[in-house]
Amino acid sequence: MKKRILAGILAASMVGALLTGCGKGASQGTEAAPAQGTEEAAEAAPAAETQEEDATERAQANEIVIGIAQDLDQSLDPHYAVAAGTKEVMFNVFEGLVKYDSNGDTIPAVASEVEVSDDGLVYTFTLRDGVKFHNGDTVDLDDVIYSIQRCKDDPKVNPQTSTGLQCIASLEKDGDNKLVMTLTEPNTELMSLLTLAIIPADYDQQDTAPVGTGPYKYVSRTAQESVELEKFADYWGTPANIDKVTYKINEKAEGLIMGLESGALDLVSHLSSTQVAELNKDNFNIEQGTMNLVQALYLNNEVAPFDNELVRQALCYAIDRQGILDMAFDGYGFLIGSNVFPAFTKYFDDSLTNYYTLETPEAGKEKAKELLAEAGYPDGFDMTITVPSNYTPHCDTAEVIAEQLKEVGINATLNKVEWETWVSDTYAGRNFQSTVIGLTADPLTARSLLERFTTGQRVEDEEGNRGNNFINYNNEEYDALFEQAIKTYDDEEQTKIYKEMEKNLTEHAASVYIQDMADMVAVRKGLTGLTFYPLYVLDVSTLKWE
Amino acid sequence: MKYVVRRILALIITMIMVSFLAFAAFHIISGDPARAILGMNATEKQLAILRQEMGLDKPFLVQYINWLFGFFTGNLGVSYSYRQPVAALIMPKLKVTLLMVLISFVIIIICSLPLGLRAAQKSGGRLDWLRTTIVQLCMAVPAFFLSILVSYIFGIIFKFFTPGDFPKIEKDLAGAVRYLFFAAVCIAIPRIAMAVRMLKSTIIEEMEKDYVRTAISRGNDRAEVLKKHVLKNSLVPTITFLGQTMAEIVGGSIVVEQVFGVPGMGRFLVASISNRDYPVVEALVVILAFWVILSGTLADLINQKIDPRLKLGGRA
Repeated sequence: MKKRILAGILAASMVGALLTGCGKGASQGTEAAPAQGTEEAAEAAPAAETQEEDATERAQANEIVIGIAQDLDQSLDPHYAVAAGTKEVMFNVFEGLVKYDSNGDTIPAVASEVEVSDDGLVYTFTLRDGVKFHNGDTVDLDDVIYSIQRCKDDPKVNPQTSTGLQCIASLEKDGDNKLVMTLTEPNTELMSLLTLAIIPADYDQQDTAPVGTGPYKYVSRTAQESVELEKFADYWGTPANIDKVTYKINEKAEGLIMGLESGALDLVSHLSSTQVAELNKDNFNIEQGTMNLVQALYLNNEVAPFDNELVRQALCYAIDRQGILDMAFDGYGFLIGSNVFPAFTKYFDDSLTNYYTLETPEAGKEKAKELLAEAGYPDGFDMTITVPSNYTPHCDTAEVIAEQLKEVGINATLNKVEWETWVSDTYAGRNFQSTVIGLTADPLTARSLLERFTTGQRVEDEEGNRGNNFINYNNEEYDALFEQAIKTYDDEEQTKIYKEMEKNLTEHAASVYIQDMADMVAVRKGLTGLTFYPLYVLDVSTLKWE
Repeated sequence: MKYVVRRILALIITMIMVSFLAFAAFHIISGDPARAILGMNATEKQLAILRQEMGLDKPFLVQYINWLFGFFTGNLGVSYSYRQPVAALIMPKLKVTLLMVLISFVIIIICSLPLGLRAAQKSGGRLDWLRTTIVQLCMAVPAFFLSILVSYIFGIIFKFFTPGDFPKIEKDLAGAVRYLFFAAVCIAIPRIAMAVRMLKSTIIEEMEKDYVRTAISRGNDRAEVLKKHVLKNSLVPTITFLGQTMAEIVGGSIVVEQVFGVPGMGRFLVASISNRDYPVVEALVVILAFWVILSGTLADLINQKIDPRLKLGGRA
């Protein structure tokens, strides 16, 4: 008898769980869970902590927990860091002689003052008084020289940084607190490069126990689980507000959303509009920034039919970018027309944004058909779009594009590949026809965004390296403009040339430039001070609980 | 005794073969661990330095033999993605997954035996269709969906646990067990359904056999026959099934770990595969192979104790 009862209860509870489950699942999509309901449920289960309590506890202890979607790099050494996600976290730990402010301009950090000679060849940095490392040592000129020298010479450093620093001819001390840097030729982008982290000279554990000068110090990490930072009490500048920061890693967006709802997380960046729509707005503010990347359908300019400019232009006309935003991004996002994102205001040229946009999408499709006929493809063709499967926004974009291209007779198939395969085969191997990806600027300079399409980056150098021109863009006028730009030391003049280069990319339809994606950040109510940068970083030092 | 020695030998050979296949698979699929670490802008020079540091410049077989040698001397190597010894990285994850799998296994046993028995007894009854439907539904529901559902209902609405805030086992064992219980339920539900269906059909099949008919016709009580003879004979396939379950729930844990944010082995395996972190993947694959073989061997040994006739099979 007992057995029967037990079995009955178990069966009933399973059915019950299943039925309530279905009910909740269905209602979740149509309406947000009412706050009152949650509170009642919380009262019904007094043993468990409520979301409010969890978060309030943290607010009182002055701590926050941030959800991130990927673990940090194998090395925490700032000079070797590669992944954007690592830099996003370690931005709070390291600083250079100068650092970026929220406009993307450089402001003094470890150096308190910079003097530049009239010919732009001699920079004199005054070291700020009493800047401390997280290990308690005071920063001296040896540390600064060591850090810069290392970035210039160490082959393991990001090549875009080390190449940029090659213009430094000498680094000399002038007294205890002045550094004189002499250049072989002027370099307008030097200040962006000098945001490189200042680290203690000859400290050999940066890999696992990084030490910097930033407002937060590194405490610990647990693989695939969490990273912990702590407020640095001896910080030279405006001290941070929050005492302890924990980053929790969950590679599934559903897990991050669940963590926000349950009260385990206080802040998650890089969410999509669909994901934030699921959140209970009584507990969260949604802030919208930009991802600061150039999302495009990149076309391999060396492979037929995209070696034909007319075909590339036809694609630009055929693809309705606003349609992509509406279909895949709930209308959020910022349209672009060349290889610069809007938040990089100094170089962004809005007049290119609608270069290929006609009055209606239908007119664009007509124009595309004309161009295709002229190029010798009156019946369209078959093409493949390679996309890294882990990036949902890029996959969604590619899917909408494939649909749109059908209307002009182009039959596009998606080839979804793993990220590592994308990096080695598509990007490094250039073995693709077209791909949807987002390119960032690192360091934040026009050069890092535009040099990649020059011939120098397309062909092999003496050492057998192929540069970053993965789309094989080949345009003599563009190469000439770039040579001119790096030889121009007047900032205004140089900016003008870089804008010419952008225009060149647009006119010759190097690729189909789509958008800079909206970056949705969910922030728990009561947490304020979120600051957006034109970089892929999250500044924790400005956050605070009210 | 001889049998046990043979099983152990087979186990070692299988593990070596599995490790070799995993190693070979990595060399066949595209993606380069050096590039995985250095990213898009890496130069050939940077890649060469790193490959040398990691020993990737050596021929495939040399790499494998080095690894194998290290494995037998207790050195699992250093993870590419974390620059930490593999053994130290894996241990905490192993603990979490093992605990979760054990909880899940207990749930499966507690639920499936009575439910299966009942399903067999009531087979052909009025509510049979309902039971069958529920069993089918539970078997078909994807782990991903089930995990979200359970986190949402028990985590967010009823607040029995805080999804995304897994307590460290060392600090708060009770809290960790409570958290893992809900994850374990998600792993268990499809397996329970399978067990119920398996038990039902095994028992019914057994009930239709001649000896049962004879026993009942001689005036024995139906329930008594079921208890004394049928159950005993159904035990062997059940234990075999449980052995398989033991092996399979480790695989089923991957998705559940991801959604629940449980820092376990499955999640670590997936991340390590996409990072091309060979040393970690090799170690995990060998552990998984060991687990699968161990489950099967254990089930076999128990079955032999229950039914001595099976020993013949062992010697053959």
